Amino acid sequence: MPTLQTRYFDQLHYGDGDPFRFAAGIPGFEDHTAFLLIQQPKTKPLVFLQSLHDPAVCFVALPARVADPEYRLELSVEEAAALDLPEAEMTQDSPDLLSLVLLTFVENADPVVNLMSPIVLNLRARRGIQAIQLGSNYSLRHTLTLESQAATCS
Amino acid sequence: MLVMRRRAGESLLLGSEIEIEILEVGPTRVKLGIIAPPQLAISRKEVLLTRAANLTASQNQNPEMLAWLSRKLASQDTNTVNSLTPLTKPTEFPDNSF
Repeated sequence: MPTLQTRYFDQLHYGDGDPFRFAAGIPGFEDHTAFLLIQQPKTKPLVFLQSLHDPAVCFVALPARVADPEYRLELSVEEAAALDLPEAEMTQDSPDLLSLVLLTFVENADPVVNLMSPIVLNLRARRGIQAIQLGSNYSLRHTLTLESQAATCS
Repeated sequence: MLVMRRRAGESLLLGSEIEIEILEVGPTRVKLGIIAPPQLAISRKEVLLTRAANLTASQNQNPEMLAWLSRKLASQDTNTVNSLTPLTKPTEFPDNSF
């Protein structure tokens, strides 16, 4: 079983079929063509995308629907092909698809998520892309509203 | 911003070495042809913005912030959280990082 040094989880054993292939990497990380999706009960609903190419590269992400329950994903034909997704399943409701939004902490403010460029995974084919949603009006820096924090303020 | 009107088949020049031709005008998109020196990087703006956002996102996380945030999120709508369970088959990893 392959082993990987990770940024947050020390050494990790994973199965040969676990990594997601990103044929073109993602912008800024074009050489990173394989990521592991990691979740653990303690940090749910956060998930982690750990690069297989560099232990220091690990993105923190959230399912898009957690950041925005109304989130809508639109895939182009090219993106569906990169995900190895049959055209008949090109809707966001395909059970094989998972959209994740990358999270960034902001000093002294709520964290932001990138709704414009979600990471889209095909859970069955183990393929991934970063799908840039043009014309969607989704923000690159959408502030995550934390209900419990609002409750503390009132 | 300089604004120009062009039809399909017409061009404009930036300096003497860069030419942008309007190849096709569709209902929602235009197709451009660009002739430029090979050393000139040409990128779609949204890819550059995404690259910058990715670089920032890859840098600034620390475990305390992650633990804090997951506590905040966990106390939100539990239905939403529970619906996430079938993400992927569980991957083994030590549970002592947070």
